[in-house]
Amino acid sequence: MSEKITFWYGCNVLRHGDIIHSCLDILRLLGIDARAAGGPDYCCGTGKDANQTAADGMARRTVTRFNAMERERVVAWCPSCLIHMKDFMGKAYQPQFAITYLVDVLHEHRAELAKRLAHPVPMRVFVHKHLGFNDKSAVNQKVPELLRLIPGVEVVDDAYAGPGYMCTLLGTVPAAMEDMVRETVRRVGAHQADAVVTTFHQCYRELCGLEAHAGIRTFNYIHLLAKSIGLPYEDEYKAWKKAGTNAAAIIGDERIGKVGVEFFERAMLPELVKKPVGLGPKRVEQ
Amino acid sequence: MSRQPMPTGATQAYIRRETERILGACTKCGKCFEACPMTRYSPAADGAEPERVVTGILGLLRGETGSPEALGWTSVCVRSGSCVPACPDSVNPKLMVRIARMIAAGGLGGPKQLQLKEDRDYFNRIRAFAKLQLTDQELADWM
Repeated sequence: MSEKITFWYGCNVLRHGDIIHSCLDILRLLGIDARAAGGPDYCCGTGKDANQTAADGMARRTVTRFNAMERERVVAWCPSCLIHMKDFMGKAYQPQFAITYLVDVLHEHRAELAKRLAHPVPMRVFVHKHLGFNDKSAVNQKVPELLRLIPGVEVVDDAYAGPGYMCTLLGTVPAAMEDMVRETVRRVGAHQADAVVTTFHQCYRELCGLEAHAGIRTFNYIHLLAKSIGLPYEDEYKAWKKAGTNAAAIIGDERIGKVGVEFFERAMLPELVKKPVGLGPKRVEQ
Repeated sequence: MSRQPMPTGATQAYIRRETERILGACTKCGKCFEACPMTRYSPAADGAEPERVVTGILGLLRGETGSPEALGWTSVCVRSGSCVPACPDSVNPKLMVRIARMIAAGGLGGPKQLQLKEDRDYFNRIRAFAKLQLTDQELADWM
C-alpha cells in the first residue's frame, strides 16, 4: 500500500452497502490504504441551509475529525460533501488534508484498474448525467471513460445532462424531476440501450425503480466495475425496490428487528415502494 | 500540525464575508438568471426581468424582504452551475443564490421567508439503512 487516504463515503450512500464495500475493495486493489468514514457523525451539513448554527458545528466537527486522522487526502464519494467541503467547510475551517473526488482517483489509476477488469460485462449503456459538479470533477467525461475500460461495455454517445449536480435537489422540484426521468427513459429507448448507469448514489436511488416499474435495467458505475473485477457484493437496495411492499420478507425478521418494525414501515418502506415520477402521462400544469 | 481547537462560527463569518464581496461585485446584468435551466419551474421567476430578479436576490443578501421572483428563483435552484460561467464579473452566482436561500430560509437568524422541507427521520433513516447492510464492526469503525 502506498498512499493513505480517508474514504469519506457520506451519508445517503449507506443505503448501498455494496457500493461502499466495492469502493473500498477497488481502492485497496489499486494499492491505496483506504480508511472508511461517513454517516451522520461525519456529515458535511450541506442539508442545513435553514440552520447555519448546526451546519457550522457539523463542518467544524468533521474537519477536526479528518485533521486528527492525519491522512494525506480525503477522497469523497458524495458530490454534495465534496462541494460543501470546497465551498464552505474548507473556507471556514483549516483542513490539513487534500480533498479529491473518487472518480478522479479511479481515473488517475485507470491503467492499473483496467488490468483488474477481467470479466466481460456485455452491455450497451446510457450514462445519466447532470450539468453541475463538472467544475469540481469532470465526471461527465471520466465516468464514460472508466466504463469503456470494462470488456463488453458499450457507452452510447449522448449529450443530455439534466439540471442540478445530482438528483438530490431535483426532488424538491417535482416537475423538473419528472422531465428528467421522462427524458432519460426516452433516450434509453432511442439508443436501444440495455441499461442506464448513474454516477451518483442519489440518482441511483431515484432511477433504480425504473427496473421494477419500467423494465429498464439500472446500475451505478461502481456496480459494473465490481462486476467486471468479480467482487461478490449483492445490490440489496435494488432487490428491496423490486420487492416493494414485500421488501421486509427478503430483508428478514432479524435485520428488521435491528431497526424496529414501526420505524421500517413508517420511515423506510415508503421509499422502497415509490415509483420514479415521470413514468405516467405528463402532468398538465394548472 | 496545529491541534488547537478551532473556534465555532467560522461558517457564518465566511458567509458574511462572501455576502459583502458579492454585493460589491454584482452589476445586476442578469446573465446568471438567463443561463439558469430551472427558472421555468418557478411561476414567479418564469419570464421575469433578469435585472429585477437579481436585484431581489441582492436585497435578500442585505437582509431585506425577498421579492416573489427572487424567492421563486432561490426555491428552484438545484445548483446546476450554468450561471457561473455566464457571469462576466466573477461573482459566483451559484454561491450568491445559495446564500440567498440560506438567508430566506432563516438559516442565519433572520425571518423565514422560504419554507424548506424538514425530514425529522433523515439521520435515523440513514443509520437504519446502515444497520441493514454493515457489520457491527463496520458500524463501530466507520461511523
